[in-house]
Amino acid sequence: MTDGYNTPPAAQLTDAEVERRRRVFGLTAEDLARIAELRSAVVDHRAEHTAAFFDHLARVDEGGDLFRRPELLDEARRLKEEHMVSLVSGDYGRAYIEQRARLGALFGRARIDMRGFLSAFQMLIGSIVRRVAELHPTDTVAAMDRVVSIRKLLFLDISIIQDVMIAEREQMILNQQEAIRELSTPTLQLRDRLLILPIIGLLDSFRAKQLTENLLRSIRDRRAKVVVMDITGVATVDSKVANHLIQTVAAARLMGAQVIITGLAAEVAQSLVTLGVDLTDLNTVGDLQGGLEEAERLLGLETRRIGSA
Amino acid sequence: MPAPEAVRVAIQRDADIVAARQRGREMATAAGISGSDLTLIATAISEVARNILAYAREGEILLSVESRDGRCCLQVIAADEGPGIADVELAMRDGYSTGKSLGLGLPGARRLMDEFDIVSAAGAGTRITMRKWAR
Repeated sequence: MTDGYNTPPAAQLTDAEVERRRRVFGLTAEDLARIAELRSAVVDHRAEHTAAFFDHLARVDEGGDLFRRPELLDEARRLKEEHMVSLVSGDYGRAYIEQRARLGALFGRARIDMRGFLSAFQMLIGSIVRRVAELHPTDTVAAMDRVVSIRKLLFLDISIIQDVMIAEREQMILNQQEAIRELSTPTLQLRDRLLILPIIGLLDSFRAKQLTENLLRSIRDRRAKVVVMDITGVATVDSKVANHLIQTVAAARLMGAQVIITGLAAEVAQSLVTLGVDLTDLNTVGDLQGGLEEAERLLGLETRRIGSA
Repeated sequence: MPAPEAVRVAIQRDADIVAARQRGREMATAAGISGSDLTLIATAISEVARNILAYAREGEILLSVESRDGRCCLQVIAADEGPGIADVELAMRDGYSTGKSLGLGLPGARRLMDEFDIVSAAGAGTRITMRKWAR
């Protein structure tokens, strides 16, 4: 897998999407002006706000691997302080979003989940709000207005972090799916010239293609004459997969091997007939045992019990 | 766990077909459908979902449990905003395909289900509505 952390998807937003996101969170010019006034409350106390975030993560033990990996923690602190500076910079374009996404990706890498992140982020918001309140000790309304403005921006931040975390999770799932596919189509040699190919689970077109390739390679490498393909574990076969099976059987025949298909479930057989798939080219036998008996017959072998039983 | 009334499955990649099929089985069970009909439904969903991927690249499958005159059915709507089908009658014929498939997807899906309706025109996307009634 390529290192997805350097280019988190949220950082690939277009200018129009960045603009749209700002509009969604209702950031107006008035908000931006108010946020700019908060420079001292945010930037001068950035170490304090950053500490509020990370101390909380450590206290409630939601830091994932962060506190076990000093290089990640240092980078996260640095990015968070950078966040505090950008927060009141007035420029919330792509560079800003990219910064947020980078931090989000880092949290993902440290295995911090959304719960941990949100709990720490609200501590950071609390820390900022206290300093904002100090700027307007007697005017609660003015203080509240400023809090409302910067809160919009902070929630926009959350939305980006969330997108990044979800994208990371999806990438992880895709990678796992790939890993499962890799190990899912073993070809087993039962005896000389006889291969068994048990297929379990879902036959999507990618797997079907992989299966064909594996099978043809095994037929050549092991000089197989007969292959028993057991599809007992396959719940659904549609016309595309059926077509693939038919083609695989035809390709195997060209390579000098006969394919016997076993374990076709009654419902699957009914579906294929209803679909109208022509299965006359397939040699099917009810179950695996019957398939193996047929295979031995084709190979000119006979299984006999020795002695009396 | 009670099944939801309606489920939407976005179709954007191969794995989504598998998901649509599985949701279809679940929803069909909720509609009181059982036995081999579940596999017939899953296969029909698979066919229409594959068509979405092959011709429109993306679209969606909407699954819902409907009832009429005290009977329940699973309704499957496959919708996309792809290039559409210029000649629907031809596309519904066995063995006809503009791709490299067997050409059994649409006519096969119609046979697998109890009701089948297709609305499509060149450039206007495709919307297929299929139903299978509980016996």
